[in-house]
Amino acid sequence: MKHEIIKKKIDKVLEKYPAAVFKNRKEHVLVNDCSIPEPQTITANTRTIPGIITNRGCCYAGCKGVVLGPLRDAVIITHGPIGCGYYTWGTRRNKGKKKSDEKNFLNYCFSTDLQEGDIVFGGEKKLRQAVTEAVQIFQPKTIFICSTCPVGLIGDDINAVAAWAQNEYGIKVISFSCEGYKGVSQSGGHHIANNGLIRHIIGTGDAAVGKYAINILGEYNIGGDGWELERILKKIGYEIVSMMTGNGTVEELSNAHKAALNVVQCHRSINYIGEMMKTKYGQDWIKVNFIGVKSTIKSLRDIARYFDDPDLTARTEAVIAEELEDITPQLEHFRKICSGKTAALFVGGSRAHHYQHLLRDLGVETILAGYEFAHRDDYEGREVIPSIKEDGDSKNIESIEVQPDPENFRLVLSRERYEKLKDEIPLNYYGGMIKEMPDGSIVVDDLNHYETEEFLKILKPDIFCSGIKDKYIAHKAGIFSKQLHSYDYSGPYAGFKGAVVFARDIAMGLTTPSWKLAVPPWKTQPVLEGRVATC
Amino acid sequence: MKNRNLVNLNMNPCKMCMPMGSALAFKGISSSMFMLHGSQGCSTYIRRHMAGHFNEPVDIASSSLNEEGTVYGGESNLKKGLRNLIKLYRPEVIGVGTTCLAETIGEDINRIINEFSREEDCGAACIIPISTPGYGGTQFEGYYSAILSIVKAAATEAIPNDRVNVIAPNVSPGDIRNLKAILEDFGIDYILLPDISETLDAPYSTEYRRIPSGGSKLEDLRKMAGARATIEFGLTVPDSLSPGTYLKERFGIPLFKCPIPLGLEYTDIFMKVLSELSGRLVPGKYISERGRLIDGMIDSHKHNAEGRAVIYGEPEQVLAISKLCCESGVKPVLVSTGSNSDQILPLINAMGYFNDFDEKLLVLKDTDFETIQKLAVQQKANILIGNSDGKFITEKEGIPLVRTGFPIHDRMGGQRLVHSGYGGSLKLLDDITNTLIENKYEKYRENTFQRYYSPKKHEDKTNIHPCFSSLASKNARMHIPVAPTCNISCNYCNRKYDCQNESRPGVTSAVLSPEEAAAKFAYAKDKVANLTVVGIAGPGDALANFPQTRKSIELIKQIDTNITFCLSTNGLMLPRFADEIIEIGVSHVTVTINSVDPEIGARIYKEVNYAGKKHTGAKAAEILIKNQLEGLSYLASRGVLCKVNIVMIKGVNDSHIEEVVKKVKACGAFMTNIMPLIPAEGSAFQNIPLTSSRELNEMRKKCEADIKQMYHCRQCRADAIGTLDDDRSAGLWKGICKGFSGSESRNQKVCHKLTRGEVHIEIQNIYADGCNVGNNARV
Repeated sequence: MKHEIIKKKIDKVLEKYPAAVFKNRKEHVLVNDCSIPEPQTITANTRTIPGIITNRGCCYAGCKGVVLGPLRDAVIITHGPIGCGYYTWGTRRNKGKKKSDEKNFLNYCFSTDLQEGDIVFGGEKKLRQAVTEAVQIFQPKTIFICSTCPVGLIGDDINAVAAWAQNEYGIKVISFSCEGYKGVSQSGGHHIANNGLIRHIIGTGDAAVGKYAINILGEYNIGGDGWELERILKKIGYEIVSMMTGNGTVEELSNAHKAALNVVQCHRSINYIGEMMKTKYGQDWIKVNFIGVKSTIKSLRDIARYFDDPDLTARTEAVIAEELEDITPQLEHFRKICSGKTAALFVGGSRAHHYQHLLRDLGVETILAGYEFAHRDDYEGREVIPSIKEDGDSKNIESIEVQPDPENFRLVLSRERYEKLKDEIPLNYYGGMIKEMPDGSIVVDDLNHYETEEFLKILKPDIFCSGIKDKYIAHKAGIFSKQLHSYDYSGPYAGFKGAVVFARDIAMGLTTPSWKLAVPPWKTQPVLEGRVATC
Repeated sequence: MKNRNLVNLNMNPCKMCMPMGSALAFKGISSSMFMLHGSQGCSTYIRRHMAGHFNEPVDIASSSLNEEGTVYGGESNLKKGLRNLIKLYRPEVIGVGTTCLAETIGEDINRIINEFSREEDCGAACIIPISTPGYGGTQFEGYYSAILSIVKAAATEAIPNDRVNVIAPNVSPGDIRNLKAILEDFGIDYILLPDISETLDAPYSTEYRRIPSGGSKLEDLRKMAGARATIEFGLTVPDSLSPGTYLKERFGIPLFKCPIPLGLEYTDIFMKVLSELSGRLVPGKYISERGRLIDGMIDSHKHNAEGRAVIYGEPEQVLAISKLCCESGVKPVLVSTGSNSDQILPLINAMGYFNDFDEKLLVLKDTDFETIQKLAVQQKANILIGNSDGKFITEKEGIPLVRTGFPIHDRMGGQRLVHSGYGGSLKLLDDITNTLIENKYEKYRENTFQRYYSPKKHEDKTNIHPCFSSLASKNARMHIPVAPTCNISCNYCNRKYDCQNESRPGVTSAVLSPEEAAAKFAYAKDKVANLTVVGIAGPGDALANFPQTRKSIELIKQIDTNITFCLSTNGLMLPRFADEIIEIGVSHVTVTINSVDPEIGARIYKEVNYAGKKHTGAKAAEILIKNQLEGLSYLASRGVLCKVNIVMIKGVNDSHIEEVVKKVKACGAFMTNIMPLIPAEGSAFQNIPLTSSRELNEMRKKCEADIKQMYHCRQCRADAIGTLDDDRSAGLWKGICKGFSGSESRNQKVCHKLTRGEVHIEIQNIYADGCNVGNNARV
């Protein structure tokens, strides 16, 4: 009954659309019903509807902006007109700190700044010279070339330029054909970046690694999250071979194949690498969530179980106890303020799930959650992958096949142990977001500007977690909003210490006296039937 | 003057793309929506940047073109997008801008939109197409392209009316509100286009409107064709993009082109125009404000006079801010824009003020922040004025930034800034002045103390340089041979041979450009452990080639900020360059002073080339010695660690050495290095007997009573790399550079004659130590 009422409310929102759009959008929204035994399905990773204000970005954003951008020792040249390079200049707040004499290019923006003449006559020559200039100035060990929309159309052969430069200058030059129009969202760009990293970087190093060597995949060090994870994991005794890609380096990535285990934080953006490394090097991956205190503890215990070493397990428990002792009093203070509130989350392809755990730690219930660019497996779990139909758009993104590497392939677990362990911990598996959401909560894929407004009106959450583009809709509606893309210049939010920072930020946001001055009528009155602001 | 340091690579762009500008303009149209025809990333990025600056929801739709659309055309996506936009938002005006993608695939949006308007129910929406390829210009050109398109599409009612068109510049909503208030104070019935005063800075209200209220109304825009005049704030706007020019040519509407009213004179121009158009006198409140602006300028002049400003941004803003700076005595040392504007340079030059300044003003168009940053440092700027993107320069170089323009995403209130009119100008000037004051007083006492009273801190510096302390022998140094010419000629010098086996001062295998030297440094850094010192030791004299020396040091500093720089010189040019040497961060200097007596000097130096004249004999030596001692005293007084090299020449200066040592000690030298003459074949001193090491050490011992002595000198080459005891230059240079073709090992006893062209890069200095070569002059 409860579900029916919510569904009706949703229909009211969607009814405003033209018929075709209504039909389309209906498939992207569901009400979580825990009473139904069979799993619910949602449509995701399909084309964005033109003209409704989507929050999705483009393929280039996923490749250059998300996955490659945080690598601090690579010069990334955006091959295209100036906008794309400019708009990705330091905007994602992925932090990086160089070690001693390394080079750090995170603060720089490099673009070939194509002009009309280049579009007509081709930009390849300019790209060659731009690479040469970058080499002369910085002597980087690695250069990435990322292409933008027009480059794919005018037929510049960026692969040829990369091959030429690599030969000419004796450094690594890798090209990424991540033209903005490819795929349906950032997601295609993640995949393209993953392909390039596995093809050209991972496996090229030969550093010796220690006993508990792991890679952290899908952690971009926004607001310093990665540093907190590194702190905790090192305290326990793990060696972090590479972080993909927050505060990461190409140098570290080249040795990633030496690690014993891949720890996956953001499943959506990096699962391709996790899977390919499993095939190529035999490494297992384990899905973790370091956002939230309880989930951090669970993740640490899961990793320890994988290694199954009594000392490591004891050390894990000791660190957990020590950290908890440190943060619990502070967290308790903020929990009192936050407890009983509700939240709506609309972020990326993982965070809308991860942050539900941290909010739950604070006593905040999530009543709506959605992803911008996730696939069905991020909602429903990897078990649905075989049933996802490949469409034209996903086929346009290359899916590469890798073979076991004769020299570096090794299995850490025996077959028996693997079989046993995979039922106990999320080994090479991600269960998705829906299973962990409360009954009656709403799941929306590719939420747009209009729906954001309407759902806020219907659900009246106390907290809206999203990005800067829709932050101010919430503010206008008198709802506290927290950016979970850039953390509103705060952070870290991950791990133990991060949880306290997040709790403080949420408590601070909820209690600002200014809210008392901004109460929209619908917050106190029932919503009128079919009332939509018209202009 | 090059606009950009790099030709093909735009590094840290000082511009955005055209669609950004058109989106900004369309946000000022009442009840409008804007859609970009292209990949959805364009809309998303632009929304993200605008929301960050304005702190407002920014709805920009996208036709979300994908691979299929790029192959088969985006028509169906565009039409679908328009349909959905109309249904959900019911806008009166829709702007459709193209992107790189749409333009490259050749989308005919005019046709598509005409067709759409004919075939479909658009509600009341007027759809305006506009061509804004991202590669066609910057946001500045995009802004005016959009306004021009709007005017062309909307201004249709040519029936004369009594209104005045006002084409707004791309300034903050706060400034637009201010301009409106001024217009109203003159009683002018205006049509403002675009008007973002409310749309991008909406007050809080309990009713949220999906399309914010405010903006230029379509029915008003129609009347633009019949207005009695147009005011356009756009001296830098080319005629082809000027809405005012279009209205003038198409409808004969008189055009008043003004600069943005920022600064005294530019605001005066605006007031004059308004007075003329309204037939009213300037209201008293503006006369008072004007007086206050002048009063304020006078009050803050002493701080402003110390200002050296770098101004960057869109051409129109840059022009106006430069004007304000000039009027108030803040010296613009670099005026720059990312737009490829042909208008900015003549306009700035025409300002006239710069004749009063004693240095040349730099004006750059189509530039980037990489170039701006370098020039800001070179021009000794102490304040930046522009948008938030300059913060990278602030972080790197410590030059404070006064934020104005778009975007300001790292501070609150960018949308509310008022920098126009007399009052706004004064507000901006106060910000500039206060930033100068804050910056000055933050370090004022410390700087003064350091400069005049701080005791010299030699100890810290000695232990890092292998030639200044044997304790630093593990540290490696690299000599970069970037200084080929010399300005004196010494009798012990012969540079006719370059032999890979020979390791002595002045020997090098090639001369490098600063860029090559920096590249080599980067290469060597990876190969040589503990490479902490970079020296310029000829093969000529570091100061006779000062531009190369300075450039090399600057480039290497960019690669590694922790490097210790040293240079060696004969000292002739020291008084001239001492300040700059200190400024670029050279901490160790070696001066070769073989004599302090002109008569003795006359026997050592054949010729001294100074101030364009060749000197010989005692006169030459006198000039040299005077400059050497003057320079040494000055450097030492400023805390630079100075070593003096003395070549011991039997029968010439050996009995004079103790006197030299005493003199240089008095001038502040930290240590001396007495070295034996190597009688180089072909030099004037080739027959002078060798000084034995016993004689040498006796002399050093004797002088030790006065000053610290160097005992571990290896008299190395001008291209040495490694520790003093392990010169790895032969192998390394070969790996680094094609110019270095030397044999792999110096153990091979092969010498070859160089051609005449190569002679000049060869070797001359016979005497020097690890960081010094310049003691021996060449012709």
